[in-house]
Amino acid sequence: MAATAVTVGRLLRLRAAGAEGHWRRLRGAGLLRGFLQPASADGDAAQRRQVAHFTFQPDPEPLEYGQTQKMNLFQAVTSALDNSLAKDPTAVIFGEDVAFGGVFRCTVGLRDKYGKDRVFNTPLCEQGIVGFGIGIAVTGATAIAEIQFADYIFPAFDQIVNEAAKYRYRSGDLFNCGSLTIRSPWGCVGHGALYHSQSPEAFFAHCPGIKVVIPRSPFQAKGLLLSCIEDKNPCIFFEPKILYRAAVEQVPIEPYNIPLSQAEVIQEGSDVTLVAWGTQVHVVREVASMAHEKLGVSCEVIDLRTIIPWDVDTVCKSVIKTGRLLVSHEAPLTGGFASEISSTVQCPWRVCV
Amino acid sequence: MAVAAAAARVWGSSRGLGRVGLLLRRPGARGLARSHPQRQQQHFSSLDDKPQFPGASAEFIDKLEFIQPNVISGIPIYRVMDRQGQIINPSEDPHLPQEKVLKFYKTMTLLNTMDRILYESQRQGRISFYMTNYGEEGTHVGSAAALDSTDLVFGQYREAGVLMYRNYPLELFMAQCYGNVSDLGKGRQMPVHYGCRERHFVTISSPLATQIPQAVGAAYAAKRANANRVIICYFGEGAASEGDAHAGFNFAATLECPIIFFCRNNGYAISTPTSEQYRGDGIAARGPGYGILSIRVDGNDVFAVYNATKEARRRAVAENQPFLIEAMTYRIGHHSTSDDSSAYRSVDEVNYWDKQDHPISRLRHYLQSCGWWDDEQEKAWRKQSRKKVMEAFEQAERKLKPSPSLLFSDVYQEMPTQLRKQQESLARHLQAYGEHYPLDHFEK
Repeated sequence: MAATAVTVGRLLRLRAAGAEGHWRRLRGAGLLRGFLQPASADGDAAQRRQVAHFTFQPDPEPLEYGQTQKMNLFQAVTSALDNSLAKDPTAVIFGEDVAFGGVFRCTVGLRDKYGKDRVFNTPLCEQGIVGFGIGIAVTGATAIAEIQFADYIFPAFDQIVNEAAKYRYRSGDLFNCGSLTIRSPWGCVGHGALYHSQSPEAFFAHCPGIKVVIPRSPFQAKGLLLSCIEDKNPCIFFEPKILYRAAVEQVPIEPYNIPLSQAEVIQEGSDVTLVAWGTQVHVVREVASMAHEKLGVSCEVIDLRTIIPWDVDTVCKSVIKTGRLLVSHEAPLTGGFASEISSTVQCPWRVCV
Repeated sequence: MAVAAAAARVWGSSRGLGRVGLLLRRPGARGLARSHPQRQQQHFSSLDDKPQFPGASAEFIDKLEFIQPNVISGIPIYRVMDRQGQIINPSEDPHLPQEKVLKFYKTMTLLNTMDRILYESQRQGRISFYMTNYGEEGTHVGSAAALDSTDLVFGQYREAGVLMYRNYPLELFMAQCYGNVSDLGKGRQMPVHYGCRERHFVTISSPLATQIPQAVGAAYAAKRANANRVIICYFGEGAASEGDAHAGFNFAATLECPIIFFCRNNGYAISTPTSEQYRGDGIAARGPGYGILSIRVDGNDVFAVYNATKEARRRAVAENQPFLIEAMTYRIGHHSTSDDSSAYRSVDEVNYWDKQDHPISRLRHYLQSCGWWDDEQEKAWRKQSRKKVMEAFEQAERKLKPSPSLLFSDVYQEMPTQLRKQQESLARHLQAYGEHYPLDHFEK
């Protein structure tokens, strides 16, 4: 209720700019005074709409890739795209609204810099965007497609699963679309509800032939996205939208690669292995420190990074050490990717040694 | 003052007269008269009572009238020869040299022969599945002949004549149908899912119409590369109902791609007749809706197909815009070996097309009237082509199938650990229980 009041108040404040008199009359009348108080700077934390369920933990500044710059996640994505278009003259970026900079500003400045034949809008049609991208990639050019929200990737599911993933296999390696990368905002953002919050990685995990990658931070995002673009297999790169602005850290200006299919142990521990990806890595980091503080439990925290093909060895090695596994993700429980990880880890014949 | 008053009416008082200094609209700049319409911001005038909507370039009308779709007298069908193979309008005769026209004829008839033998081989249990091209040979050969050999082809599944025209050997057609070790596709797909990188024919996939937006992407890349290539994309009238077809058409037009959309309208999508597939004037009538130049041709007239494709190719590359060709034809054969079309259409109907309007016989009549072919040559060629097909067939049947280890490669460019483990697991399984599997038919 309190959250609603603040939202309504903010909305009315925005409209008040063109109808000053009307706004003042309402306030003066006292009819809605308590209801429409604008949010004050020192307002009650519970009333604030933007109470995130985590605190972003930046990683220490990377020193091995040259000069760095403070970037948030969308700027890191822009930087990766900029590097790619500079290096690879065949590379093009397309999707809905990418020309003006994108609804999340990931492509700001790129059209001016590289031209309208390289950064362009497509009609509003996800199956067309991905199909078109596959076709570009079949000729050997680099295609970077954007699906505006992961929630809208489903019309393209046929093109991804039946076509992109199988192109090389079914043709006996005569043809492939390895130079295709699909980028899409992913995960909960607080107010997204059913259709601006989804994490559909589990649907794609069941599809051999594609790679699915999810970064936890700006530094990870740039390196992983560059690896996806250069990878010779079609890749889906999900970008946690809540981190676009909230995650800020030092990111190298020059291009660099973070390898795919390699999980990262970001904190060592001995009692339990915690696995997560994307935003949830930060939640799980907090959980690890709470567990240490309150329960004296030592947690090993792993960021999976690539969903498929996933790094079975790193996870198994960790669970062999700790003896316990907890996987946490935003996506629904049943059939979620945690079930793949836990069944692999538990089955003695599938666990590596 | 009149100007100010008019402006105020158009823009509303709160905006004042800030917009009076606009360019007047050029009188001729209406509609889509140019062949290459640019959808830029229109200059609008504050003086005229003309529509200013960004979404359409049109005049006002004050009479309520729905546009009547015209399906009784639809887009006319371009043809060069009549059903007896005689040129109707001499100025449309492409005057192709004898050698080329003979190649048309021999390709169509060789395809027909190969179809008969492979269809029969499926009935006998030698291959698992087959799709014939009966009646549609003219659409394949006429269009293939009008392209450059490096133009990239995206097909659906009933375009084997295009590959045959590009000299894909019988051995490789058979190899793919038998899934033997010579198959370039490594035996992974069902029969007739041909592909050939060397001949610029993208491997066929079963899902329908998926190739359409892909072809558009390839065309865009070809345009960027200044490759002077056209992309041609084949599909049936049934596949044209798929969302991917709509996506492809719209993208090709908005992104100005050098692509030929070639629709084989053969009357049926398995058992579904066109009356149940669409209610408008076929596929050609959809083109203008997307801003695409379109034509309908007699698909059983190989010269009409040739002329239309040739001109479409020339302009698509020169002007970077898509073309839509709807080739009207008839599917004389069943949909596939899994279909018996007598369940949904009469034998009389099929016989009419086989006997009265067949691309092969029409071309034969033309050849004979030119003095380039006769019954004796026909007899000799039938014998020779049948012999060639039978030889390739017998050889294909004798070959081994690819190694089971190829089940796991090419899923990714590099083999990931999980797949390598599955591959090793299968190898161990076959080691232990190999006697239960027909391993003698497979390469090690």
